[in-house]
This record gives sequence, C-alpha cells and structure tokens, in this order.
Amino acid sequence: MANQQTLLSPAELAYLHSSLSLSPPIRPDGRTAKQFRPLTAETGILPGTNGSARVCLADGTEAIVGVKAEIEKTVDPLGGEHYQEYVKSASGAGGGDAEEDKRGARGEWLEMTVEIPGLRDDDAGTVFLAELLREALLADGEFAKKLWINRRFHWRLYLDIILISPPLSYPLPLLSLTTHLALLSTRLPRLKSEGDEDPMFDDDWEASPFLYPRQGAAAGSRPPITLLVVAVGDSILFDPSKEELAVADSALAVSLCEVRTQKGDESMEVDSGRELRLVSMRTVDPPSRLTPPGVPSTGNFAASGTFDPSSQKKQQQQQQRVEEYPQEGVWKAPLGGTRFAVLDSIIRAVLEKGGVADEVLDGLEGVDLS
Amino acid sequence: MADRRRVNGPGSSTLPPVYDDGELDAALRRQRAPDAIRPLYLKTGVTPSASGSAYLEIEPREGEHGSGMKLTCTVHGPRSLPRSAPFSPYMVLSTHVKFAPFATKQRRGYLRDSSEKDLSTHLETALRGALIADRWPKSGVDVVVTIIEGESTRQDAVERRVEEWDVMNVLGGCITVASAAIADAGIDCVDTVSGGVAALVASKDGKDASIVLDPVALEHESILAACCVAYLPNRDEVTNLWFKGQLPSPASCNHQSLVSRAVQASRGTHGLISASLSEAIGSTQN
Amino acid sequence: MATDILPSLAIPGTILGPASKYASGPGTHIYGGNIVSSLLGNVNVTAPAKAPGPTKRLNKITAPSVEELSTISVIRRGRKREVLPDVGNTVLARVVRLMPKQAIVVIQQVGDTVLQTEWQGVIRVQDVRATEQDKVKIHESFKPGDIVRAQVISLGDQANYYLSTASNELGVIMATSDVGNDMVPISWKEFKDPDTGVSEPRKVAKPS
Repeated sequence: MANQQTLLSPAELAYLHSSLSLSPPIRPDGRTAKQFRPLTAETGILPGTNGSARVCLADGTEAIVGVKAEIEKTVDPLGGEHYQEYVKSASGAGGGDAEEDKRGARGEWLEMTVEIPGLRDDDAGTVFLAELLREALLADGEFAKKLWINRRFHWRLYLDIILISPPLSYPLPLLSLTTHLALLSTRLPRLKSEGDEDPMFDDDWEASPFLYPRQGAAAGSRPPITLLVVAVGDSILFDPSKEELAVADSALAVSLCEVRTQKGDESMEVDSGRELRLVSMRTVDPPSRLTPPGVPSTGNFAASGTFDPSSQKKQQQQQQRVEEYPQEGVWKAPLGGTRFAVLDSIIRAVLEKGGVADEVLDGLEGVDLS
Repeated sequence: MADRRRVNGPGSSTLPPVYDDGELDAALRRQRAPDAIRPLYLKTGVTPSASGSAYLEIEPREGEHGSGMKLTCTVHGPRSLPRSAPFSPYMVLSTHVKFAPFATKQRRGYLRDSSEKDLSTHLETALRGALIADRWPKSGVDVVVTIIEGESTRQDAVERRVEEWDVMNVLGGCITVASAAIADAGIDCVDTVSGGVAALVASKDGKDASIVLDPVALEHESILAACCVAYLPNRDEVTNLWFKGQLPSPASCNHQSLVSRAVQASRGTHGLISASLSEAIGSTQN
Repeated sequence: MATDILPSLAIPGTILGPASKYASGPGTHIYGGNIVSSLLGNVNVTAPAKAPGPTKRLNKITAPSVEELSTISVIRRGRKREVLPDVGNTVLARVVRLMPKQAIVVIQQVGDTVLQTEWQGVIRVQDVRATEQDKVKIHESFKPGDIVRAQVISLGDQANYYLSTASNELGVIMATSDVGNDMVPISWKEFKDPDTGVSEPRKVAKPS
C-alpha cells in the first residue's frame, strides 16, 4: 500500500524494532503494549442518515460513517420475484414462519464502501478494508436477518465510510470503531403493514426502532469491532502507529463480537455476562516487507573504500554471508510467514477476559448515543 | 410501445418447475473421510509465452460431470518497472485474480468485482511472505490467476447460498497454483507455499459440530466457520490466514484446532505440489 | 568428501545440507543453519576452487573459511532463467539516445545471458573513460545504434542502471557509419568505414 510507506532509515527501523522487541516493549509514543490511542467519538451527527458516527483520533485523523437504508424488492437470483411464493406453494408450507423465511436473507443487502483520500476507490487496499469490515458484520449470519421486512421486500443498507484526511497509520481500527458506533445509532422506520403486503412505515422518527435494540431481551448482540494487532519479536502490540507497523513482523486484523449471555435469572450484570466471540481474522500484509534494508559496514564498499573489481568476488561473498546471518542493529525486512504460536498468542491476547477488547467495548459504551 | 422490429419474448416471465426434494440426496453427501482432501491435478509450464505457469484441477465429485474447480496461473516477469514507478530495492509483486465470465452460475463481468480484488489482496499477502524479494531489485512480477471453472456451477449452490464459503476454497486453490507457477518461473522463494482450507460443519440436526478438511459447502448441511491458510511447511510458518464464521460458544480453543486442521490440509496439498514439481524437472532432464 | 547424500532435485524449501559444511550458491539461501533451496531445479555441488589442504591453513582450529567449502547451487537445466544486471556485471548494451552529459543505452545481454526484457541504462560523461574525464564529449564517444560493452557500477535510480566504460576492454564494439556500413576499429578512439574510408570518433573497446 502506497500510503503506508514510511520515511525511516534502515538504522531507525532497526532501532525501533529492537526497542519494540523488549519486554515490556518501549513504544515511540510511550504507550503500553495494550494501550489504545485516545480518541473522541460522537454519534448521530448527520440528520439525513439512518445512523451516523464520527471518530477523531488524537493525531487528527478523522472518519465519518453514514448509514442509509432503502427499500428494495427481493429478487431471487434464479429469476422472478415471485419465486419464494412459488416455492412456498409448491412445498405446501403454510403460515408465516418468519424465522424460516428469514433464512432467505442475503449478505448482499449490505453494501459497504470505504473512501480514503489519496487512494483510488477501486484500490485493492480499500476494497480489502471494506470486505474485512463487511465480513465481520455478516459473519454470524444474524445481521442480514435484521434487514428482512417480508418475503417480498427487504432493506438495502448502504454503509459509507469516509476518511477526512489521508491516514497517518493503517486506518482499520478507526474505521471499525466508527462503523460500530454508526450501526449502534442506526434506526429503521417502524413497520406498520403486516405480512407480505407492500410495506408501510410509521412517520414518527421517534418511534423507529434501533437496528441493534437497546433494551429488552433482544439487546443481545452488538456490532463487531476489529482490532489490528502486530507482533514485533516476542511483543504483541495493539493499535500500532505507522512507524510501528513499518517494523512489524506480522500484522493480524481480528474481528470479534460481543455476545451478552442471558442467564435467565435476575442478575443482569452486564459486564459479567459479556462474552467475546471471534468472528473473523485476516493477516494484513505488513508494510515492513517493503522497507529498504540496511547495509552493514563490513559489506559496504561505498564507505569502506574505492570500487575495486579484483576484490569484488570476495566482497560479494562477504555480502552474502551478511545477508544470511542477520546482524544486531542492521535492519532487514522480514522474510517468510508467522509461526502458529505467535498467531495464537495474538488471538489469546485479543480474546483475553478483561483485556484490550473489553476495554475498547467499555469505552465505546461510554459514548453518548443520540 | 412494443418493439415491432424484433421477435420479442413473452411479456411476463415464467419459471421452470423446481421440485423441492426436501433434503439432500445421498450422492451429495460427503463421501470422503473428514481428514481427506480431494485429489488434485497440477501441471506446470502450460503457457509457453509466460515465464512460469501452472494449471490446477480439483477432481469433481463422484457422479458429476466436470464440476471440479479449474484454475490457471501465469507469471510474467521479472521485468523492468514502468518509468513512472519509484525505485524499489525489492521485486514488486502484483496479483490479479479473475473469475472467467462463465466460471460461476451467475455470469461474472469482465471488470474485477470486489470479491475478486479481495482475493487478489489475500493472494498477494500469501505470496509476498514466501518470496525472497531482495534478490530482484527494480523489477516487477505479475501473477495472474484465472478461475476457469468455479466450484459452485450447480444450481443448488446458488439456491442454498453457499458461494461465500466456496471463496475460501478458491483462495486455497489460487495460492497452490500460484506457488507452482512461481516455482516454474524460477523466482526465489523461501519455501513452496501451499493453501489449505478447513471448516467447522454442523451435523444435520445442528447439534454437534465437527471439523473437516477441504470442505465442499454443498456437501454439508451448514458451515459454521471456515479457515484458509497459506502455509510454508519447511519453515512451519503461516503467510496468510483468513478465518470467518461463528464458533460455538463454549469451546474457546476451537479457532486453534480449526487453524491447525487447515495447516494439515495445506501440508497435504504441499505433498502434491512437490510431487508435481519434481516430476516437471525430472521430465525436462531426459 | 561429504558423506550425507544430497537430494538431486530440489523445490523451493528443500533442505540441502548444513551451512557449516557447504557454502550457499545461486538458487539457495540459509535458514536455521541449513542451506535451503529457493528455486526449482537440479542440485549442483561445486568443489572449492582451491582444494582444502591442511598446509594452507596456519591454524587447524580455525573454521574453514567460505572459499574452502564446496558450494551448493540449484539450477534448472534446459530452461533459461531471467537474470538481472547486478553491480560488477559486464553487459552488452545498445545506445539509443545521446545527451550532452550522458548516453542512454538499453542493456541486452548480461554476461552470456540474453535478457528477455530490456533494461535501460545510462553512461554518464564522467564514466566514459578513466583518464581526461573532463575532455570527454559524449557525441565523440558514442552514436545511437552502437553496441557497447560496459560494466554496471550501480543499480541507479528508478529508471536507469548506471554503466561505465572506463577501462580498455570496455567501450564500443560494433558501430555503423553514417552511410550504414559496418565499421572496423582502427585506434583507441576511431572507427573507420572500409568502403568510404571515413573515420568516426568513438570510445573504442580493445579487441579481445
């Protein structure tokens, strides 16, 4: 990704890598390994949308999400719009078993776009981000069911994410948190019609239900959040800055959703009932692979003296040796993949009870939803 | 006003009768053991004009005619970068994954859609980890994967909405075929990367779940979660991991077993790639 | 010499032998103390140029240096592999354009390998010859269409490799005259058209 290029020299990269590999790691901005950067958030900022949110990071990067809903006729991919009725009458299934019908809900009803200034909107990186966030939302199969109106109609939800300025770091956590808040504040008009007739809605916006219900037994799931976690040496760092990402050995985007288990008894302690569930994971190509390598002073013939073809073979051999055995303090872009143990420890750190994810979700709960 | 100059179709559309069989017939059920992967056919050097190429075909299920996935991959380069490109001390890798317009039940357009771009990004991550990119400074390589025939050409795949899970299999195939093509092109890699897929499937009553390797979504009642890895067997490292789905709540360690099963699947695929590649060099020698 | 058996064929990732016994040649890399193949091909073991003898070593305790290990390389036979110009290589290039301070060339052959793709290179005025660099004039050294033997001195910027002809063996090896005849070198700075008898200035490579 072009915007991920850093202007750090190999020596700076090597220094950063070794300081981040320490236990505990020393991060350039003084954060602890599991600390997030401070951010401000507000919801309901755009009156023309069904739901919106704005999140602003301390470094000035800012994302705005607007959710728009439209009614659409359910068209079966196989042909006519009456297909579902047709199947129904053919199979002889009577009565409106809504749960059964909702199985027809499709993930395509959610459309998500990400716009990042300085990147083409068909850029592979942008598409990757949008797919990543979309997949996390749809992973549990419950989200699409929320968009089901009746057998003939459904909501089509457009989720548009706009980054106000070119990102200073990989914008994934920012976009994910903004999306989370926007969906929490999303309301769809209350349905007045019944059954499969053309949908009619209540004009009263105050009466419209939230997409993710706030109260009652249905207050179960909330939108997922996606965290970006990097591994540098043995350290695992959350919410990496651009410079940290530039030396990361591996980067993993982990999406989790919170499931509030209802025990059925009167003890409705929200925090104790929170359960984190992994919904999706993707490795992100760490930009460290594209950083320029350092040249150790032993193999540097620009510094050691004049260009001498006769001693060149020897120098080349020397260089090769150097290439194979990494030296302390000489930066070399990581080769190969990530060990399973490292991936596993990242996932454990994310899912840990009372860990970072809990902290983030607590923070998001503190946001005033209007 | 109707168009009188052409022969028009009927004004209202009709549908062919669809018979609801109630449940899947036995032939559609998975016949393989849970830890068996489907047989593959892999051949390198199929496109003479490219620096490296490979063709991969997955054996179709029994009783079906030509419904196995078919992929080709061509590798172009290393060649000089365009003049506008900035200096790169490394090889610049670009990947393109494209479904042929006729690869799936629903026709695909010629422009790459978001799922194809997404697959390209996954493939790029998977391959970049394996390449020794600093041996080829200032050069660019294009890896082009074309899916000639997808997995879900059948009607019921569309009907039962399992395409989203088939994407995992497609990615696994893309990684495998691209890895063979890169080896054929003679581009330095730390290891032969191979793709593998594992899925957590629910049994018919939806009660207990089990993990299967190389899942075919059609063969199962429902898939709860799936995982695709790109794996370097000799280094025991994962270059790309893609997991999605919902795991049943109690078993918190399920993701580990799913990932390790996917790794197992890619080990199986790796055996195949190495056999095919060894055969390829063996045959050119004589 | 080596008792352990090396595989004859290798695919990327095949472990070939311990790095303490062998040196890593083309097509291999070192990982975890082993020489690992990074290409698909046949395994070659080249004995060291100088046979390792005990008399050569002053102290038997010192580990054998790189030159004394046999080199493992992986090469695919029967298939031309793309190569890149590297610093120090001697290349053959065709002159395409002249500028007051430099000549733009296209590299067509590296060592003995003809390249599949064309790489652009540049010979700057100060790299044309080793002596009297300030008196060099580009248009008296090259003409478009000449074939030049040159050495790569740098990977250069995004577009060009930097080449040098500052050696007796390097310079123009083939040239055509204004009327289109092949010319023959007659001195270190002149080519002559045998038909018309007109001579043209060039930075001539010493015929080998």
